[in-house]
Amino acid sequence: MLSLRTLKKSKQLSEIVYSTTVTAVGELVPDFADQGVLVFFGQDAPIELHEFSIIHTPDVVTRAPQVGDTITLQENVYNVLAVGSVASDNLLNLGHLDLKANGLSEPEMPGDVNVEAVSLPKVNVGDRLIVTSQTK
Amino acid sequence: MGSYKSVVISAGRGGWGGPLTITPTDAKPYIYSVTGGGIHPVAARIAELTGGTPFDGFKSSVPFDQIAVAVIDCGGTARVGVYPMKKVLTVDIHATSPAGPLAMFITPELFVSGVKPEDVKEK
Repeated sequence: MLSLRTLKKSKQLSEIVYSTTVTAVGELVPDFADQGVLVFFGQDAPIELHEFSIIHTPDVVTRAPQVGDTITLQENVYNVLAVGSVASDNLLNLGHLDLKANGLSEPEMPGDVNVEAVSLPKVNVGDRLIVTSQTK
Repeated sequence: MGSYKSVVISAGRGGWGGPLTITPTDAKPYIYSVTGGGIHPVAARIAELTGGTPFDGFKSSVPFDQIAVAVIDCGGTARVGVYPMKKVLTVDIHATSPAGPLAMFITPELFVSGVKPEDVKEK
């Protein structure tokens, strides 16, 4: 919790634009995380997508991530480096997010949301993902 | 029986893979649209030309072995690989190429991308 508190303190003008709670974690999610990818889908996603997906239920849906936002997952804070052309529609329509820890400032694919090339955490039911705008 | 027709689906501009020939059968009647927001126009056109049954994957699911073709609007990571992994013929609206954790399953025999309604032609 320490870094969350630090984030709030240091970013007084930030605003939460999307937040959601994990409700299920597919059994292949750790394999995807090892490859630097976390795949999120909303509750309505077809069952065949659940095995590699993090299923979640959002409570704030103002907008999708933009470059310069931060994404907080558990106690980790990532900087959004690139956002693909369909990433916003994916998230707002389907709850779908392809979060890639690849450090690239250009999206490789239209659904990508890129953050720093760090190792991704083991995601658990009840974890929170929060997108925070830093541009004010 | 015998009321189904075939279509050939080619890669659109910047797309990859294919062409795929889609022929629904009584055992595999479904044109499975996994696109959100209802049946995608590409799925609707495939269903119209073939006589297959359009089906919205975000409403409910059907078994893989009853899917004639899956139509997805995947930006390149997840849905792009899962249907080819299950050997389901897959059409991506977006012009993606094989990539991501499931890239090994994406082959030109199973997958075609960048597809617009006009890339779906009667055989």
